[in-house]
Amino acid sequence: MQVTEHSGNPTGDLTYALRKVCKRYGDGTAAVHALRDVDLEVKPAEMLVLLGPSGSGKSTLLNIMGGLDRATSGEVWFGNQNLSSMNDDALTQYRRKRVGFIFQFYNLIPSLTARENVELVNEIADDPLPAAEALELVGLGGRLDHFPAQLSGGEQQRVAVARAIAKRPAIMMCDEPTGALDVRTGVRVLEALVEVNQRFGSTLLLVTHNADVARLGDRVVRFLDGGIRSIESNSRRAAPSDLEW
Amino acid sequence: MRVLDRKVLRDLWRMRINVFAIVLVLGCGVAILVMAVGMRGSLERTRLNYYAVYKMADLAVSLVRAPANIANALAAVPGVSAVETRVTGLALLDLPGVKEPASAHLVSLPRIGRPRVNDLSLAQGRWPDPDRADEVLVNEALATANGFQLGEELAATLHGQRHTLRIVGIANSPEFVFVTAPGEIFPQQDRFGVIWMGEEALARAYDLEGAFNNAVFRLSPEVDSVKIKRAIDVALAPYGSAGAYDRDRMPSDRFLTEELGQLATMAAFLPTFFIVIAAFLVNISLTRIIAAERSNIGLLKAFGYSDRAVATHYAKGALLMAAGAAALGSVAGWLLGRMMASVYQEYYRFPRLEFEASAGVYAGALGIAVACAVAGSLTAVIAAVRLAPAAALAPPPPTSFGSNSAMLRSFSSHLDAKSRIILRRIVRFPRRSATTVIGISLAIAVLVLAGTFPAVMERLMHVNFTEANRQDVSLSFVDAREMSVVHGVMNLPGVILVEPGRADRVILHHAGKSVEETLIGLLPDARLSRLVDARLEVIHPPAAGIALARALAEKLDASPGDLLEIEQTRGRRLITHARVATIVDPMVGASAYMEIDALARLMREPGLITGVNVRLDAAQYDRFNAAIKEAPALAGASFINLAERSMRENFDRGVGVMNFIYLSFASVMAGGVAFSAARITLAEQERDLATLRVLGFTRLEVSYVLVGELAALGLLAVVPGVIAGTLIGEWLMKLFSNDLYSFPYVFNAAGYAVAIGFALGCVAAAAMLVRTGVDRLDMVGVLKARD
Repeated sequence: MQVTEHSGNPTGDLTYALRKVCKRYGDGTAAVHALRDVDLEVKPAEMLVLLGPSGSGKSTLLNIMGGLDRATSGEVWFGNQNLSSMNDDALTQYRRKRVGFIFQFYNLIPSLTARENVELVNEIADDPLPAAEALELVGLGGRLDHFPAQLSGGEQQRVAVARAIAKRPAIMMCDEPTGALDVRTGVRVLEALVEVNQRFGSTLLLVTHNADVARLGDRVVRFLDGGIRSIESNSRRAAPSDLEW
Repeated sequence: MRVLDRKVLRDLWRMRINVFAIVLVLGCGVAILVMAVGMRGSLERTRLNYYAVYKMADLAVSLVRAPANIANALAAVPGVSAVETRVTGLALLDLPGVKEPASAHLVSLPRIGRPRVNDLSLAQGRWPDPDRADEVLVNEALATANGFQLGEELAATLHGQRHTLRIVGIANSPEFVFVTAPGEIFPQQDRFGVIWMGEEALARAYDLEGAFNNAVFRLSPEVDSVKIKRAIDVALAPYGSAGAYDRDRMPSDRFLTEELGQLATMAAFLPTFFIVIAAFLVNISLTRIIAAERSNIGLLKAFGYSDRAVATHYAKGALLMAAGAAALGSVAGWLLGRMMASVYQEYYRFPRLEFEASAGVYAGALGIAVACAVAGSLTAVIAAVRLAPAAALAPPPPTSFGSNSAMLRSFSSHLDAKSRIILRRIVRFPRRSATTVIGISLAIAVLVLAGTFPAVMERLMHVNFTEANRQDVSLSFVDAREMSVVHGVMNLPGVILVEPGRADRVILHHAGKSVEETLIGLLPDARLSRLVDARLEVIHPPAAGIALARALAEKLDASPGDLLEIEQTRGRRLITHARVATIVDPMVGASAYMEIDALARLMREPGLITGVNVRLDAAQYDRFNAAIKEAPALAGASFINLAERSMRENFDRGVGVMNFIYLSFASVMAGGVAFSAARITLAEQERDLATLRVLGFTRLEVSYVLVGELAALGLLAVVPGVIAGTLIGEWLMKLFSNDLYSFPYVFNAAGYAVAIGFALGCVAAAAMLVRTGVDRLDMVGVLKARD
């Protein structure tokens, strides 16, 4: 794994430290600024909600922090590694070892069963949770050998959660995980996420445009027009079952 | 232009690489069709036209000697519209700068005017002056092969006397479109030709002054040739007539008919084969392209476009591709046809052979291209149009991968997840996998076929020139000679071994069928000229009776034990009988065979032979040739080394060019199939592959999923491809076998290896090319969009 060491370890005890992160698409007059000078710090085991309307830059930031995309300028520190200066292979290794992803549209492999979708990731993880155990955790112990087409949307998303947690990731990146779900199934998915956050101590970054969901987080980062408008701490995290949307 | 039409053009542009592959492959099929069908038509038309304009004989007859005034009686036979009496003979030629003697067929020209039958077209020079005995015309093939110039002199031995002939013109005749020496199977244009000279000079040389020994006839339309032949035979009976015969027994026409038959086989088979492959490929591509257009179809329907309008919209795209393929294929076919015509022109001496495909051929090509494209897109368009707009707009439900057989489950449990993805996709989409496998196997089959032809020709040459004919030279005599001539030949310089030979041109009759063939006398325990079958085993002559080659036996409907009537075609026109002893399968030639002495007795010429086979001391080659150039009794000398060389040259230029064209097209097809399959697989899997990348799989690991599927399909195609290629090859060889050769199917391991290697190489190259798409996968984009 290629690692860019930094003698001064700018993050200290932080999981992430972002300095003046910009993301620009295009050049000159046609340039679109998706992110402008974003500074952000994320603590270990924190549950951070990125909230904002669509196009506000929250997903772009998540993609950059997840190693799916690169900042145009600025620094993105994960521990003592600078993601901004990593090459493609190093970013792949970063995603492989550190990050669990959950997407709005599940992104399961249709030709693999629930168990196999989890095993797919376990094959490249160092010390994974057995697939059956991971699926048990999200309440799918009875549906191990079902293919995605045989599962409901909520079940598919919980398979995705199981897939993300099986590698015991340091970070969980969730992009609108309940966006395609109704309330009841959405709550079950969120419960699974909260459970993982508390049980494994994973740092959890959750992108949503739903203000109610934001009540789940330790802190809520509000986005507008490619910048952070405010960062609020929740004195008390809400339980998923308290949410309504 | 309507917006929807603009969309058609933009869609084609967007998918230009796939479109290009489809157009190229379909275009190949069309090109082969235009070339093969057009070439066959061109040759047939050219022959018909040539025969009509230059008055090709309908009947011919050879005789010993008839007085010139008999011509009037022949012309008076009802139904005969023209007759030309001639003097013909064979001569040995001593060509400048050539060691071995060549030979020529000599034909007389009338003193006044042009021949009324079998007229000549003068390619160069002028007609001979009837008062100059030494002025001659030579046929264009011989002149070109030897680089003869007008005014050049040739030394020729006519009837035992040496003459010096001067070339004043170069000509072609419908009688000699294809020139082979009597008894030879393979043409040697540089070694056997035709010389036309004044009637008086030729008659003098052959002691036939005021007489003729050959006549050719044109008949009035729609007359009964049987009656006319009978009348001619009656009129010529006192003069040693060998019997009048029809055009189908004239050597050049017979050969041309055989060749046209082969061309017809190819014109029917090969384009069909290529078009079927092309249709297949178009189907694979279009079905998958249109399946990807599902949401657009839903959108159009939601806007209120009718099913018909939507179907027409997609059909237009297919039709445009078909039109492109037809245009490309027609131009390529026309160019290839012209190229083939110039190759054929070297073999078939027509005054002008121009490739010309009729409008019908081009229209047919367009029709077939359109049919392929429409058939290819039909199922997909219908399926898409049938969906309710809302269903079409919504993403398709995740494909169900439910019901796998227990066997497959236990097998896949041994695989890693990535290999399981590959396996499940192949099994889950059996039709799609099957079409790709069939496409690649057809490409392998074509390549196997293309590799088989040269191997078969190589085997044929090996058998003929190494196993069967182990002599260095075959000498044939003007008349049958006593066996003692063998001693005379033995005394020629450089001769190591001499074996007698005998061949009689006969007509075999059985069960109401008649076939003119050569009855060959075989020497038991021959060391030089032997009859060999496809397994390289020597066929021995039967102790008694006659052995028939299978093709000949079939033509005569004869089996062992049947009594054949045998009619001599020269001299006394003896009619005799012999029983069929056995059926044999020689590889080259399809004649009748007897033990040599038995044959001589059957022909009532005991102890007489018609030629000898000679093994030479290579060091004395030149001295031997110098000696036989002077020999009066020789009608011809056939040199095995020269025959092999000219056959090889013929092959390289004729079949070789053809084969090269097919090989190129097969390669384009293999590449097209592989590339289309690869691109479409990438398009279908893009989302899954991007997801794998997001999950932290490396490019190499993700590429494995993509390339692995193609590799698996490619490997699955090997066995059916090889089997299909072999079966079609065997069938084609049977189809191509004719009177002259029986083509064995030769298992050519190297050819198979090349075919498999090339096809899989195409798959690998296509996979590698498409694999670069994995590097460009849009990881961010894929997470935003649904399936």
